[in-house]
Amino acid sequence: MIKLNVNGKDYELEVDGTKRLLDVLRDDLGLTGTKEGCGEGECGACTVIMDGAIVDSCLLLASRCEGRKIITIEGLEREDGKLDPVQQAFIEKGAVQCGFCIPGMVLASKVILDKNENPTDDEIKVGLSGNLCRCTGYNKMVEAVKRAAEIRKEEK
Amino acid sequence: MKKRILGIKAKRVKYFVPLDRDKFMTVGVCYNLYIIGLKGKRKFVMHMESYRSKSLDETLKKLCECGDKACIIAGGTDIIIKIRDKKVAPKVMVDISDIDELRGIRDVGSQSEIGAATTFTDLVEANELKPNLKGLIDAAASVGSPQIRNMGTIGGNICNGSPAADTVPPLLALNSTAIISSISGLREIALEDIFLDKGYTQLKHDEILTSVRFPKLSENEVVTFSKLGPRNALAISKICLAVYIKKESGVVSDIRIGSGSLGKHGLREKNVEERLRGKKLDEAFIVEAVTAMEKELKNRLRGRSSLDFKLEAAKGVLENALVQAVEFFTKKEKAGDLIDKTKR
Repeated sequence: MIKLNVNGKDYELEVDGTKRLLDVLRDDLGLTGTKEGCGEGECGACTVIMDGAIVDSCLLLASRCEGRKIITIEGLEREDGKLDPVQQAFIEKGAVQCGFCIPGMVLASKVILDKNENPTDDEIKVGLSGNLCRCTGYNKMVEAVKRAAEIRKEEK
Repeated sequence: MKKRILGIKAKRVKYFVPLDRDKFMTVGVCYNLYIIGLKGKRKFVMHMESYRSKSLDETLKKLCECGDKACIIAGGTDIIIKIRDKKVAPKVMVDISDIDELRGIRDVGSQSEIGAATTFTDLVEANELKPNLKGLIDAAASVGSPQIRNMGTIGGNICNGSPAADTVPPLLALNSTAIISSISGLREIALEDIFLDKGYTQLKHDEILTSVRFPKLSENEVVTFSKLGPRNALAISKICLAVYIKKESGVVSDIRIGSGSLGKHGLREKNVEERLRGKKLDEAFIVEAVTAMEKELKNRLRGRSSLDFKLEAAKGVLENALVQAVEFFTKKEKAGDLIDKTKR
């Protein structure tokens, strides 16, 4: 039995604590937005935000996440149904192609902006360096993060 | 007919859990294969307990209780992969990521101490680390990706015993001591003595690495780091080197070099160090260091197909680390000059 806080909701689950967080999210909570790519921490498709920092959910035991706040891509939707600025910017800039890396990419981008309102190109590249994308070539994602920074400022 | 069936059985049984031989002989073939399948499946379900420890004492008791059935997990970035690949099968995972006393950077007298469960991100963002520890910070910043750095720990980097561990060379160059705890007390050993072989350390089942300590650096000391990997992010280093230099009146009074991926585990390059002590820190120094390194590696890596590549690459990496040290001192001396002038 483990207790998890995912996207602001508390869950009590009858699952083995030695399950990976990724499996609990996808199989037990049905939050299939988080993807499994390599399963060994190389690709970042399974990225989630834990206590404000990005982590690979394929390398985390579910038991280790007790008492921590987990945010998945499903948790970015706002109450009024609007998209997060990062999601909006990714669409505007055409940074999404096949989409498999995008949940991780969006969460990593969000953390970059949470820590730094005006990131430079290099800071964005370092921030996204743990997320592989085989479609876009990354340029549009860097543009999208900058656009998201603009949208965030407009909203203030 | 019967013999052929037995042949199949031998093959399958070898792969899965062995069955009761008599039972197999009497029961039909299909039925038995079905059981083998079941048994096989059952074997793949991991019977593992996850124990989240809140204090060091609790951890030590649990480790003592479980003996070789337990395995310590901190960041988990290596062990989880090993478990999934079935390379290890611990019965109990003792999670130490929540223990505050194992995390963070502290001053202990004339030494700095880094807790074993300190993450790479903690190190990179730490204000306690001065610019002359840049080699250690650079090494931590070069590990994996942001995700891995948020999870992975210094202690894990050491205890995993990987030859390519990035933070080991700077810690070796800093002449670090490993602090090891068990229920019967503390022991301290030099970090370089902790490694036995690739993937093996001298830690016993009931012991845990609690921290590493190294002497605080003064203004005339620096440690630098250089790494060669296939690319910037997520690269496992092909070669990494850290250099510690103490400069007194223009001369290198002490030098220590730590290397990674140039042996079975992180190493101190003592033969190279010996030839460099007491020399003036200039271009000729770098040339001599690089030549000494080449000679040392030629002996060590003899017979390897990658020798030619490693020799050239290691020379470049060492040069890079030394140039960084030279630049550090040049900058420092220039700043010093400025202060002197304003005083006048």
